[in-house]
Amino acid sequence: MATDRKAEVTWQGDLMSGNGSIDSVTSGAFGGLDVSWPARSEAPEGKTSPEELIAAAHSSCFSMAFSNGLASNQTPATRLNVTADVEFTPGTGITGIKLTVRGVVDGMSNEDFVKAAEAAKTGCPVSQALSGTTITLDAALA
Amino acid sequence: MPRVQREANVTWAGNVARGSGAISAGTGAFDELPYSLATRIERPDGKTSPEELLAAAHAACFAMSVASELTSAGTPPEHLDVTATVTLDQVEDGSHRIVSSELLARARVTGVDAAGFERLAQAASEGCTLSKLIEASAKVTVNARLEGGTDGD
Repeated sequence: MATDRKAEVTWQGDLMSGNGSIDSVTSGAFGGLDVSWPARSEAPEGKTSPEELIAAAHSSCFSMAFSNGLASNQTPATRLNVTADVEFTPGTGITGIKLTVRGVVDGMSNEDFVKAAEAAKTGCPVSQALSGTTITLDAALA
Repeated sequence: MPRVQREANVTWAGNVARGSGAISAGTGAFDELPYSLATRIERPDGKTSPEELLAAAHAACFAMSVASELTSAGTPPEHLDVTATVTLDQVEDGSHRIVSSELLARARVTGVDAAGFERLAQAASEGCTLSKLIEASAKVTVNARLEGGTDGD
């Protein structure tokens, strides 16, 4: 079964001095988020950006895939904390993503935890969609 | 140009079927957005998902690219509306894959005709870093429409 998720953005003016807003998304979970080129390429000043949204998409996708992998392995996670750090080089584009995960899992060695995290990194749909950039992983039991 | 870092953090508790997570932005632009497997692959029930966040990222990236292309062509937009629709589908081995992102740009702009706008929108997608990444594994389509002006009809 296919699932569609849509986002709508409005923009006014040119790139450098104009500004935009992520007005609405399918779920209604957020809206009215301002974006601009200076906030994207320099200091964010509280504004989100495509790269921050990618960080959110990737960390949430990886967490879910990892929790699924751990549960299938009969070692379900009590808690996972995941950070995705997306690097953007203006003029070049997205130049790397670093995933950091710390987890609380009963009865699992750190080595097995790292192995399962690697599998989740490869398998998560957002990792596959962004496979054109370098994705690195730092995984350890908390 | 210096490199820019943006981060987001997620905490996840419980197994995948019944657990849930919360997503927070480094900038504070959004905080503790809840999500779960059921709302990701079925009805959203007000909850965001990785694919929705990817759609938001792609729409914002593409909007900036279209604004840039129109400005370079000497015809900056008066108003631009962009949507991105990301589709997650189950593939043969039972796993889920992001199969497409469909972009639509609607612009009010003086001095560009419909064909010219379509060309610029196509170039804007090629210039958007996310289109390039997504295209490696999924289909990116671009649709462009002029609105409300006297040009391009």
